[in-house]
Amino acid sequence: MGAETDPTATIDNELAALREAFLPRFRAATTEQALRDENAKILGKKGDLTRILAMLGKAPPEGRKAIGAKVNALKQEVEVGFETCLRDLRKAEREADLSAPPFDLTLPGRIPVALGHKHPISIVREEVVAVFRQLGFAVHDGPDIEHEANNFTLLGFPPDHPATDMQDSFWTKSNHLLRTHTSNIQIRAMTTLKPPMAFIAPGTVYRRDDDATHSPMFHQIEAFLIDACGRVTLAHLKGVLAEFAERLFGPNTPVRLRPSYFPFVEPGAEVDIGCVFCKQSDGTRAGCSICKHTGYIEVLGCGMIHPVVLENCKIDPDVWSGFALGMGLERIAMLRYGIPNIKLMFDNDPRFLAQF
Amino acid sequence: MKASCNWLRELVPQLEASPKDIAARFTAAGLEVEGIVEFGAATDSCVVARVVSMRPHPTKSGLRLVTVDRGGAQQELVCGAPNVPDPGGLVVLAPLGTHLPAKNMTIGKRAIAGVESEGMLCSEDELGLGDDHDGILVLPTGSAKPGDKLSAAFPLMRDTILEINLTPNRPDGLGHIGLAREIAALYDFPFALPVFGGSGTGTGTGEIGQLVTIEVRDPERCPHYGAAAVVDITIAPSPTTRYRLQSLGVRSISNVVDVTNLVMLAWGHPMHAFDLDRVRGNRIIVRRATEGEKLTTLDGIERTLVADDLLICDGEGPVALAGIMGGASSEIQPDTKRVLFEVAWFDPRSVRRTGRRHGMHTESSHRFERGVDPGDVAQVLEHAVAMTLSLAGGNAANHSMHVQGARIAGDPTPPARRAVTLRAHRLPDLLGVDVPFAEAVAILERLGCTVVSKNDKSCDVLVPTHRPDIGREVDLVEEVIRVRGMDAIPAELPAVRASRDVGGREELARRAREAAISVGLSEAITYGFTSARALEALSAPKPTVLLKNPLGEHHAVMRTSLLPGLLDAVANARRQSEYEVREFTVGPVFLQAKAGGDGLPDEQLRIGVVLAGERGGWLEKPQALDAWDAKGYAVAIAQRLGGTPAKVVAVPATREEAEVHAPHLHPRGAAFLEVDGRRIGSFGPLHPDAAEAFGLDVGVLVAEIDLEPFVTGPRLPQYATIPRFPAATRDVALVVKDEVRAGEVESAVRAAAGALAEGVQLFDRFVGGQIPAGSSSLAFHVVYRAADRTLTDAEVDAAHANVVKAVGDRFGATLR
Repeated sequence: MGAETDPTATIDNELAALREAFLPRFRAATTEQALRDENAKILGKKGDLTRILAMLGKAPPEGRKAIGAKVNALKQEVEVGFETCLRDLRKAEREADLSAPPFDLTLPGRIPVALGHKHPISIVREEVVAVFRQLGFAVHDGPDIEHEANNFTLLGFPPDHPATDMQDSFWTKSNHLLRTHTSNIQIRAMTTLKPPMAFIAPGTVYRRDDDATHSPMFHQIEAFLIDACGRVTLAHLKGVLAEFAERLFGPNTPVRLRPSYFPFVEPGAEVDIGCVFCKQSDGTRAGCSICKHTGYIEVLGCGMIHPVVLENCKIDPDVWSGFALGMGLERIAMLRYGIPNIKLMFDNDPRFLAQF
Repeated sequence: MKASCNWLRELVPQLEASPKDIAARFTAAGLEVEGIVEFGAATDSCVVARVVSMRPHPTKSGLRLVTVDRGGAQQELVCGAPNVPDPGGLVVLAPLGTHLPAKNMTIGKRAIAGVESEGMLCSEDELGLGDDHDGILVLPTGSAKPGDKLSAAFPLMRDTILEINLTPNRPDGLGHIGLAREIAALYDFPFALPVFGGSGTGTGTGEIGQLVTIEVRDPERCPHYGAAAVVDITIAPSPTTRYRLQSLGVRSISNVVDVTNLVMLAWGHPMHAFDLDRVRGNRIIVRRATEGEKLTTLDGIERTLVADDLLICDGEGPVALAGIMGGASSEIQPDTKRVLFEVAWFDPRSVRRTGRRHGMHTESSHRFERGVDPGDVAQVLEHAVAMTLSLAGGNAANHSMHVQGARIAGDPTPPARRAVTLRAHRLPDLLGVDVPFAEAVAILERLGCTVVSKNDKSCDVLVPTHRPDIGREVDLVEEVIRVRGMDAIPAELPAVRASRDVGGREELARRAREAAISVGLSEAITYGFTSARALEALSAPKPTVLLKNPLGEHHAVMRTSLLPGLLDAVANARRQSEYEVREFTVGPVFLQAKAGGDGLPDEQLRIGVVLAGERGGWLEKPQALDAWDAKGYAVAIAQRLGGTPAKVVAVPATREEAEVHAPHLHPRGAAFLEVDGRRIGSFGPLHPDAAEAFGLDVGVLVAEIDLEPFVTGPRLPQYATIPRFPAATRDVALVVKDEVRAGEVESAVRAAAGALAEGVQLFDRFVGGQIPAGSSSLAFHVVYRAADRTLTDAEVDAAHANVVKAVGDRFGATLR
């Protein structure tokens, strides 16, 4: 320091120099760490401001207070400058991150576990069960291998009658048969439970048919409702069918009943729904080769449970009545998904299954 | 059943509706019309032509140039047919522009061997009238004028045919009279049966009883046997009636045989014609066959009969299988002079049993087994006789003969008609729609029911004999709604009084499917039947359900394992060059019936899994699936089904255990799956022998898990307090010999780490590098935690030091 200098002036000069310098020093930092280091060099224990403050002792006592105030003011300026620079720096870093080249999302996605696929028959099966569950039906299981009585006799199939041609059966060597329909469940339910009852019975069935349009094993769902006479009518059957068609094939799907014959119902009917293949946007049907230009396709059989079936199960047909309906799940699946050939359903080709 | 619209209009003259309308009305009433076919459409544009002259083709032998008169104009045509009639003969000309649908061709101007020909002389086949294509159609001389439109000159050549898919309960629909009666009822037109004049109007030929004696020895199976005879007939082709037959898909044979077919198509009641001169001993005997008796039927097949078969015999032996097919010995021949007609009613069940036994299904048996009208025998005979007299000439014997049990008479006793009561309230009760009772009764009357008594609440009706399907009240209700139409029934949702599930297997199967798809498997649906050989190849339990009438060896037994179907799926996929198969199937296996049960096989619900192909990472090198993949899937499925609290353990099998309990698995990778201590299945790589048997190479993994233990649903988890204090994790990598199994080391680590160890997890297995050969490094995370405080480093270090020491002592493991 050579000549006697005014300590107050020196401090003032130092402070003024620091005031000039701190912001450019902060700005020079390109990382947060560098900025913090620079900040420590100014405000830290061994920093510039501490060093300046140490000179306070040399200043005249009466001026110290004013110098202290100046130091504090600069300290605050530095702190604000630091915060500003920090904010700017972070903003720049964030911007750099955001504007870096995008990820190549055309690369395949990573999947923890790719979900498998249910068989279309199962999808339909579960949906039909869900529709009927909502209507208050419960599920009734039954075996694939059945007594002749439950499959035919008690259902009112006349012995040696051509009606049994409709259902050519597989017989086991112990004279049971592979059930030809899920209607055996009606008998099982009616012979073990008391009405009222409302059941849906999905299951595997077997018939001795194996050609381009038949599989010797296929699936059906039977639904039946038995309640006091007058509480179950053909009108109720129609209502349930309309609900089914709407849920499986979309809103306002028309449903048509055509009288037909099944030994275990009377009156019996086949049910047609509006063709799913030539449906127009306005809901009408244009007619196509699949519906033979009728606008309707057959989906299931149904009817009022034949009194002889009720009697066979010791249920008085003058007190109780019921309806039953049965459908082939393969047909529903084929119509819904546009599957052209029943055989595709039993090849279990992974490329087929992955589509559903 | 093919139905002729023209014939129906003959029977119901008021019927003006179009074929399309009739079809819709039939369909809406339960007689489903599946097709409408135009018969002889070409006859609308073809004309009758008269041969004027004929000369050879200038260059080509076998062709001729025929000049015909087509009504005012003449033209010359080239014709290759051998049977062009002499000048004056009538033929059919298809003029230029005619479309022949049967051949899908349109007649154009063309040169045949250099000579222009504008038009064609047609054969039956080309006109779509029959299958005769040996020559052109030659019309009877004088039957029409040249220039006449063919369909106008011969109305039977042009028709619209309805193809009706009849349900087996409607035998009345198998004849035009029945269909006409149905139409009359549906459209509310009057209906009267056609009348043919009595068959007894013979012309001095004598009584039928002098020509033949009839004896029915089994009146139960043949309660009515009717017969009539016509003598001095001339067998000839039937000139125009043939088109009616051919329009209905029946070949025309000769006038008398055509009569039997036309009458059958009219009444739906099959009949038979015998050459009376070939009925030996002039006797007809209806009896059961003797065991082993032989009969050669018209189709040339010798049938060996059983005592359940009903026969028509003459004085020396069987001549027909009753209601099914005649024999060759007494059939109508070109020289037949005297014909005996049989119209009978045979027991439907008997006809059906015999037909099935001998593998025969004929137009006749089709009708008899459905139940023909027992009340129309006399009329059918009269119709046959009348038509024979008009087509084949001759004289009818006086009276027909009707054998009904012990009663033999010229007129039959009409069969009793069933009486059925209809209560008015049953209509709304069953149909859910109000039908005025008077309207319902009127419908029944239109259908041929006779009302015996009626008040506001009920009525009694007698059912017509042609409706064997109407037996009780509900059948009348159906008739009412059938005729009225089901469209008028409103749709209402029922108020369902709910039931509870029975069985629970549907829900179980659904949960199993959910579990399997959640780990990435896709569902296969596999056949319940398989081959004994496939099961044997898998050493599955011997099948206990064997089919009596399988479609083939490949489907001859019910499966005792789900794997054959799944392995077939893999084999199918490989044939399509698809190697990635990750599929499951849910379904029953069929095991020995349980003692004291209902005698039916024990159907045990299982899930089967098959894996083949590679485990792909994210753009990493794929690796073949292995035993640990099988374990992963099997354990994950079981855990999903058992619920979080279930203790699912894979227990590796020793070679001996594998050979006994899982012989279909490769013994190195075979393991059992246990849930809460109960063994429920097995998994592992397929045994190479089994793979070979299915035509597969190695690398196929399978699992099969019994689902019954999960039927009660997954176990409920119980909430455990979430720890409030932090855990401390220490890792340890131990080098152990390969014989030491990772599971044992893990158990030892867990035991040594003590009560503070919350979890032990193997996170790395390393071989090679500085690890000596025959050893591997197993690295574990050990998580320490106390429920009531934060553990100090000292506490954790002390516990962890024990791990290193204990495992070192036990397995000679060293720290890596």
